[in-house]
Amino acid sequence: MDGHPETKTKAGAPRPLALNPEDIARLGSMSVRARVIVEGAWAGMHQNPHAGASIEFSEHKEYAPGDDIRRIDWKAIGHVDRYYIKRFEDETEMRTFLLVDSSASMGYGRKGVTKLTYASYLAAALAYLLAQQGDPAGLMLFDEKTRQYLPPRTRGGHIRDLLVALEAAYPAGRTEPGRALAEIGEIADRRSLVVLFTDLLDAPADLADRLRQIRSRGNDVVLFHVLDPDEVELPFDDVTDFEGVEPEDARRLLVDPRDLAASFARESAALRERWRQICLEARVEYRFSTTAEPPAEVLRAFLFARQRTRR
Amino acid sequence: MHFLAPALLLGLIAAVLPWIIHRIGRRRARPIRFAAMELLLRAEREVSARRRLRDVALLLARTGLAMALPLAFARPFTEVRSDLPAVTTHSQSAVVVIDDSASMRRSLGREGTPFDVAKTRAREIVEHLSPDSEIALVLASEGSAAPIAELSGDRGRVAAALEAVTVSARRADFAAALRRATQMLSSSTRGDRLIYVITDLQAAGWEGVAPALLAAGPEVVVLDVSGGEPWTNRAVVGLGAEPAPEEGAQGIAVVAEIANFAAEPARGLGITLRLDGVEVARGFVDVPAGGRARKRFVHTVSGGARQAEVVIDHDGFVLDDRRACRVEASRGLRVLLVDGDPRTVRTEDEVFFLEAALRAGGSNFSVTTVLPDELANRELAAFGAVFMANVARPNATVAAAITRYVEGGGGLFISVGDRVDVDTWNQTLKAVLPQPLGLKRSAAAPPGARPEGETVDLRPAERLAPIDRRHPLLAAFPARGEGLASARFFQFLLLAPVPEAPGRRIVLRYENGAPALVDAEIGRGRVLLLTTSVDREWTDLPIRPGFLPLVQEAARYLAAAPSGDATATVTVGGKREIVLSADDRRVEVVKPSGESRWLSPAAHPGEPRARPAVLFDDTDEPGLYRVRAARADGTVDERPDAAFAVTLDTSESDPARLADDKRPDRASARGAGGPPPRRRLELWHALGAVAIALVLFESLLTLRFRRGRVKL
Repeated sequence: MDGHPETKTKAGAPRPLALNPEDIARLGSMSVRARVIVEGAWAGMHQNPHAGASIEFSEHKEYAPGDDIRRIDWKAIGHVDRYYIKRFEDETEMRTFLLVDSSASMGYGRKGVTKLTYASYLAAALAYLLAQQGDPAGLMLFDEKTRQYLPPRTRGGHIRDLLVALEAAYPAGRTEPGRALAEIGEIADRRSLVVLFTDLLDAPADLADRLRQIRSRGNDVVLFHVLDPDEVELPFDDVTDFEGVEPEDARRLLVDPRDLAASFARESAALRERWRQICLEARVEYRFSTTAEPPAEVLRAFLFARQRTRR
Repeated sequence: MHFLAPALLLGLIAAVLPWIIHRIGRRRARPIRFAAMELLLRAEREVSARRRLRDVALLLARTGLAMALPLAFARPFTEVRSDLPAVTTHSQSAVVVIDDSASMRRSLGREGTPFDVAKTRAREIVEHLSPDSEIALVLASEGSAAPIAELSGDRGRVAAALEAVTVSARRADFAAALRRATQMLSSSTRGDRLIYVITDLQAAGWEGVAPALLAAGPEVVVLDVSGGEPWTNRAVVGLGAEPAPEEGAQGIAVVAEIANFAAEPARGLGITLRLDGVEVARGFVDVPAGGRARKRFVHTVSGGARQAEVVIDHDGFVLDDRRACRVEASRGLRVLLVDGDPRTVRTEDEVFFLEAALRAGGSNFSVTTVLPDELANRELAAFGAVFMANVARPNATVAAAITRYVEGGGGLFISVGDRVDVDTWNQTLKAVLPQPLGLKRSAAAPPGARPEGETVDLRPAERLAPIDRRHPLLAAFPARGEGLASARFFQFLLLAPVPEAPGRRIVLRYENGAPALVDAEIGRGRVLLLTTSVDREWTDLPIRPGFLPLVQEAARYLAAAPSGDATATVTVGGKREIVLSADDRRVEVVKPSGESRWLSPAAHPGEPRARPAVLFDDTDEPGLYRVRAARADGTVDERPDAAFAVTLDTSESDPARLADDKRPDRASARGAGGPPPRRRLELWHALGAVAIALVLFESLLTLRFRRGRVKL
């Protein structure tokens, strides 16, 4: 996270290829960036991503009389205090929908990459990984409406189209993640994996309901909450004239940010905690990162968590 | 509001600097398009109230500071109408009249005395008057000198004079003080002429203030330093001594008069008598509210003058809680009459009229009559005066005793008659005779003249020439000598001429110029020689009204005993004449505080035969003043006969307050309806304090704010 190509593991050993976002941005194309991120993620996990590794997901259903009690997911009990039955369907083809928020607010990035760029890196890495597994991955770029949609496919060249679309993504418009989720809900069948990349700023109130709805249809849902470090701690020193970024957002605030830093940090933490709780209740996996963190680390943590869940 | 340096008000422009800096800071704010506006606005809502309050407070503090500094430097002031001793904007001629009378010495508790407060107020006036003002200082006590008698711009001199002013024990005389202040201001050309009177507003002392003077004169400002509270007082307002026959010849009664100026009666008031500083009696007295009471102490004293002092329990005004006087033992009032021509018919006796005059009611004389032969057996020193009336031939023993007696300080009165042997007298008593006795002379009637007045005796007679009242014997007589002028002298002795001598005076003369009564100092004593008889053989003087006072005064004069307190008591600030005896070269007056002063008699070219005397006027201290005399032989002796008491003017004991309508600042034509004078109230000190407070407040606020950021 300090910009060096090597990061440290918990044991202190060098971790190769966990590049910072700024370093990744200097790489030639999105396909290269995706591969580097994936390699960096798997290198940290000491597993070869090309040796049959896969993203498996489980589906849970609430325990009912007659179910095999050996398949009760005891860890889920710890989380939600209910009995759930794990169901594994490895033999079934998994369709993944990558939903990337491309609204104007995702274009903020004062020092490093923008949130949209960062989300694109993560989405590209996931798409690359899925393509390696032969799983179909689709992409939806949205703001207040769907700006671009590539349905999940496995044919050759689809991954390249998807990466090109991600590279060409630009921030504009207001954000409506709920609407995008609703659309995907219409398209996705059971056992789809829906991955949403958004900053959750100015998220409409119905987003939580949408998440519950799509989750209730049997889809596995992951929410990547991406924020700029400025949106976590407000590290400004001078009197600043803040303006809203999204269209029709006329809000302005002339203020000495030092006066608000503490209060802002509390509000930002409260926002993350609120969505963490919402996701937990809706059985949606919540992943938070700032744009300063190496994408490979974020991806690795995600994969590691899913592997643990699978075991 | 006015300003001493209005040009500095341009600095007020700086007051907009904080606003400009604030506005510039807003304009220079960096614009940032920020996605997390919702979070930002929530954070702003959380802290906005506190932040705005702080911002406004800071902005106001800085603006206030930027305004306070140039305002303070411009030295603002305002003019207010009050009796505060602050100052007008313009230069003025001011006379500060300070009440330094005795009542200003009473206690106000922690504040000291009204006089202390008065000096402070006077100091404030002097300090706050504009620099080009002129000031004079006048004291209100009667007869006092003005510390600064002419208007002066020398502030240091005025301040030094003010510091040197002390409170007196005299009575106040505001009429004189205001007259003097008005006179001083009359020479001033300034428009603003004020008289500041700093007083406790005691009514006594304002009696003679003429309304016309106030109406036409300068403006008068009265500053009341009485402390605001009415005060009560008890005082010894009178003290005297009288014989106390019930205690024998040595008995005296000291009578004190106590006044209670309070609305409540004073019960069981302690009162103490001291003689020569030693407490000899103590008692109690009840004094009715607003009334007076007398307390009589009876005591026995040995001969000579004594110092008596009466003290009552102290109140807030201690000065009048004591009073002193000189008391005389009865030695001086014992008179020995030597009857040279006794008769069986009492009215024809030589000393009949003398005895009658000395024993008259109200007199304090103890009279003893003897025959010439008995004189040798008497202790003459026990008598204040010896009257030898028509004694024929004093023998050598008697003559020696008489001479010793006179030279030792005794008083001798000699009157003549048919029995007097002139030659014997001139031989044996030459030492005590003021002038040798001469031939007997009978008055010759002018042709065709008719006697005036009473025509009991139609013999030819001489009358007395106009009297000279400067002699103590005659001081009590009317100017024309009524009572003596009608006396007729049928026969008298002429006196042999002698050279003039100090200490010898002709007190009375006949119309023909011959001496009738001669006074001479002999040694330490005194002799009065009457050249006629004291019965009706040679004169009808004994039946004239002037005989009785003449004889009584002569007895007191010879015995050196005053006729009453009046002669031995002086009011504070008064003058006391001290007559030197023949042996005295100069006298020393010792004040009650122990301070003393030597005085020498001045020469009197016009009156070569006048008895030398000194005038003592340093009587500002109440109490008993002792007198010591330096003799010709170099010794210094006490002169108890010359001691005197200085007493407070009783009007100073009366706490009655001057009525409001008689106050000069309200009673005058201008003061009654017009506004009180304008005073300058300086504001820059307060503004300076405000500026300092604002700096501290701003610093505290900024520091607190920065600390808060660090914590965050």
